[in-house]
Amino acid sequence: MYKKTVLLKINNEEHIISTYPNRTLLEILRDDLCLTGTKESCGEGICGACTVLLDGLPVRSCILLVTEVEGKEITTIEGLSGGEKLDPLQEAFIEYHAIQCGFCSPGMILTAYSLLKSNPNPDEEEIRHAISGNICRCTGYAKIVEAVKAMSEKGS
Amino acid sequence: MRLPPFKVLEPGTKKSALLTLDKHNKNLKIVAGGTEVVVMMKLGLSAPLYLMSLKKIKVLRGIRKTKNEVIIKSSTSINEILQSPLINKNFKSITQAAKLLAAPPIQNRATIGGNILQDTRCLYYNQSEFFRSGLKPCFKVGGDICHAVKGGKRCFSVYQGDMVPSLISFGSKIKLEKKDSSRTVLLSDLFTGKGENPFSIQPNELLTEIVIPLHNCNYGSSYEKLRIRKGLEYPLVSAAVFLSENTDGNLDNVRIVIGAAASGPKIIENASIYLKRKNSSDEDVDEIANISDNLSEMVNNLSVSAAYRRKMVQVVTKRSLQNAFQDLNKGG
Repeated sequence: MYKKTVLLKINNEEHIISTYPNRTLLEILRDDLCLTGTKESCGEGICGACTVLLDGLPVRSCILLVTEVEGKEITTIEGLSGGEKLDPLQEAFIEYHAIQCGFCSPGMILTAYSLLKSNPNPDEEEIRHAISGNICRCTGYAKIVEAVKAMSEKGS
Repeated sequence: MRLPPFKVLEPGTKKSALLTLDKHNKNLKIVAGGTEVVVMMKLGLSAPLYLMSLKKIKVLRGIRKTKNEVIIKSSTSINEILQSPLINKNFKSITQAAKLLAAPPIQNRATIGGNILQDTRCLYYNQSEFFRSGLKPCFKVGGDICHAVKGGKRCFSVYQGDMVPSLISFGSKIKLEKKDSSRTVLLSDLFTGKGENPFSIQPNELLTEIVIPLHNCNYGSSYEKLRIRKGLEYPLVSAAVFLSENTDGNLDNVRIVIGAAASGPKIIENASIYLKRKNSSDEDVDEIANISDNLSEMVNNLSVSAAYRRKMVQVVTKRSLQNAFQDLNKGG
């Protein structure tokens, strides 16, 4: 197995990575770039904790080979906030108590962010469908739906 | 979970991909969306020497219409199918299947070709290496035992692809290409019905196109799926229905395809014998539901019991039929 050089565009920054091809985007984000906001849980593409945005759409970084995302725009939870200033959607998650243990929150927020970009006024069914691939074991989803709905009502 | 080592190959053209496939044959796996193959590799169920990516081959993506058909290229994502007005307008049950497939983040990567060719599944097979290390090798991995059926003489793993029942119900064909030739076959002919080896595709063949015929008559379609939760589920049983009527208002084509009930999709061949009229009686519909049950080869190898799935295959078939009738009456 040979190493491959890959150009990654993550949160508007370019990174040139030399890596073995059998590594996932999640491994590169967490282990090489210290972007530990993206979480690993099931590792099989089920739970949604590792969700990042690929060209604006939510995807599972734990089953995404790093060689497959070369040249694409990747957004992690670190890219949503401007340094210490949180994105309004992150503020809404805090305001509506949509975060408890917080492990699903990066993936959940990015999924909701992508939904609001494509559909600024989703109804509850659309919100629940959009986040149906992100598992939360604490909140029972009601608070998360409230937070996303609040953003749609504000016209995010 | 880490991936085993492999060499990645990234051909830039379809021709080059076919040559690569021919050269490495059984030592190679294809990655398009990766939502199946990467998981299989992580679980140790697949360890190819070479992984061939289709990401650079643009001719393998997209949806186009000809005079009599709609052609979906095999690397088209499920999300692209969901967003396609062409599919939405002409093939309602295909859109329904795409929407019910896993969850949006999977739909954004998973491709229709990958979904069609996803391996059969079993509670005793789709597990970690550690879990499987405590079990004797079963038929699926070349052994001579079935853990789901004591004394079973074959593999009962279940084909759980979401897209196939609806595609077959519309009479779809697929194009399989290899180095020097290609063949177009009915999608239903792709399936062997055998859990050990579910597809009749050569290791050097690439699925390139799904060809769905357009229908000029009045027709209706529907896809129904049983699952425990609303997202991230493979079907525990599913039913796709296509109905069309002639100018006299009689049904002239009834195709019902049952999914996740055996190692391949099950087609109710003689459905039009029972359903000739739009106002078919409840007894006719019950008869179809009974046939769906008789065709099923369910054993206790998924997350719910075979007894429950056998009850539900009838319910799901009836619901799908009723919805297809409603769709037909609305004008498709």
